Amino acid sequence: MIARAVLALAVFLVALFTYPGALLASLATRVTPPPGATAGPAGVPPWLHVAHPSGGMPYIADDQGRLVLLHGATPASLLEFGPSTTPLYPTDPSAYELGHCPANLPAGRYPPLCRDDLSAMAALGFNLVRLPISWSVLEPERGRFNDTFLDRIAQIVDWARALRMYVIVDMHQNAFSHYVGTGESVDLRYNSGAPRWATITDGFPSRVYNKQREINPAVFEATTNFWYDRDGIQDEYIAALAVIAHRFRNESVVVGYGVYNEPWLGWTLPPGFEDLLLFPFYRRVMDAITGVRDGLPCWSGFFMPAVCGYRDLGIHDVRHLMFLDTGLLREVTDFPTHLGMPVSSYPNVVLGLHAYTHIYTPDGLLGQKVPNTSYPWGGYDQGWDWAAREAKAMDAALFIEEFGNDPRDDPLILHNQLLEAERHLAGFAFWTWKENGDAHSWGLFDAPNPPTASSGCIREQRERLLARVYPRVTADPTLTYHYDPSDGRFALKARGRSGDSTTVVYVPPEVTGQISSDGAVRIVVSDETDGSRLVFASPTGGPFVVAVSPGRVTLTSCP
Amino acid sequence: MRDRGATRALVLGLLALPFGILAPFAIWAGARSWRRIRASGGDLRGASSALAGLVAGLIALATFVAGTIYWLVAS
Repeated sequence: MIARAVLALAVFLVALFTYPGALLASLATRVTPPPGATAGPAGVPPWLHVAHPSGGMPYIADDQGRLVLLHGATPASLLEFGPSTTPLYPTDPSAYELGHCPANLPAGRYPPLCRDDLSAMAALGFNLVRLPISWSVLEPERGRFNDTFLDRIAQIVDWARALRMYVIVDMHQNAFSHYVGTGESVDLRYNSGAPRWATITDGFPSRVYNKQREINPAVFEATTNFWYDRDGIQDEYIAALAVIAHRFRNESVVVGYGVYNEPWLGWTLPPGFEDLLLFPFYRRVMDAITGVRDGLPCWSGFFMPAVCGYRDLGIHDVRHLMFLDTGLLREVTDFPTHLGMPVSSYPNVVLGLHAYTHIYTPDGLLGQKVPNTSYPWGGYDQGWDWAAREAKAMDAALFIEEFGNDPRDDPLILHNQLLEAERHLAGFAFWTWKENGDAHSWGLFDAPNPPTASSGCIREQRERLLARVYPRVTADPTLTYHYDPSDGRFALKARGRSGDSTTVVYVPPEVTGQISSDGAVRIVVSDETDGSRLVFASPTGGPFVVAVSPGRVTLTSCP
Repeated sequence: MRDRGATRALVLGLLALPFGILAPFAIWAGARSWRRIRASGGDLRGASSALAGLVAGLIALATFVAGTIYWLVAS
């Protein structure tokens, strides 16, 4: 009798701590009422949230319920890469005041981020900065947070506010940490993330296999220790996120938080990695920061099973978006590696996809070079369509947090990824803004010349592709639009009721074609001081079109 | 004497809960073992383990089916 009871208890506990428990905790979020969001302090720009149309795809929306498209880039200048143990550029905001910008250090991979950079982003039509930061800089010693670094982030947020741009504060990591140790084929200039005290490698050797920085036994072990909350390091990470959320809880310029960049699975296999470790971790982060109570009350400080929620850390931030990366394997292979279950009753969840078709997908890993590849089998829509389905199953909006490539491949890769972003009404953040290196580096600009300069010229092809005409906000979340970068032509087709909020179309200075409309709409064109144009389209009831005629695309000339 | 399949069913059942792909094997092993034990008239032991493996396998399969249905409906 006792043996039977023990067996029954064992089955029950294993079930609770694995998939059955995870599924129940996940589905329970669908019947849990979302937290009520009180109106926040008036912000410029307005607060954003995730709208959930019945039966439709969730989307990022503004305070009028309009779909918002965010276009931006990712400057990696605040990241701390190895082998150094200090940030490359000053973290004290005073080093960037009055238009001052520290000299570029060519030994690092990225130039410093200065006020002029944000102005240049805005001039390209970007309304977003995805700002990666390093945990190692934020919390260099356990429990001691770097207020100067928070001030530096706040400085960039202030710059963005002046330009009416949003900021995603992104807790970034690459191959877990630059404290995983040196070894054969290890280039710590490509590692960032956890501080030394949170990098527990258990003596595993640091050695990179197959030229992939994550395929390193020390990275596997340190990452696994994080997911299993060894020594409470996951609790510390949640506390670090809470410090950021507390600092910016009333700041509408900060659109939200990237919770964990490109999560590596460590020794755990998919789909268990995502469903039993990663997404429950995300749920706990949202429990801690927003105060929702998903998952069961549990202990903390060591391994927390999937069914466990997390204690409310008292921030009660219910106005920011949570950008959740899928596991790295999914992000770089175009295929889902998890079930796509709902994560939280918190409604402002965004699935952050990294679209690296050809670069990390099977063709690239097999050494095939574009354009002579046998992939993607279903066209570029393959990875995006799967991502949209994943996001919808999770009741999350879709956003492309990263995509980028060797500039030689722009006509194929960048062009097609941008077409997919249009097709899926998804915003994006291009990787990366500026990068030291050579003609093959991924920055929007040529490598700096002289080396101490912030950058070289803007790459013509990238300006042509990324400085796009696009709707910034629209009351019709089912609209379609297309921009042709070869001649600047643009067409947007939407429907509206009389009295609907305006659709705003951004036309960059590079595009010179004539603006017109057709159908049930009144348009007003505003000429902006930077040479761009904004089209305010007010529906009068019925279908309408806003168009830009073909014309000369005037790209920035380089001295 | 203990039925050898009973322990196998229990291990497969417990593993099927985190690794759903093992669920059919746990159900198959548990059902066969349980039938043998019942048919033995008391000569074979291990009914609890066989039944636990069978139940765990069924829970794992039900979870997999429910998760898949949710995915198909929600996406």
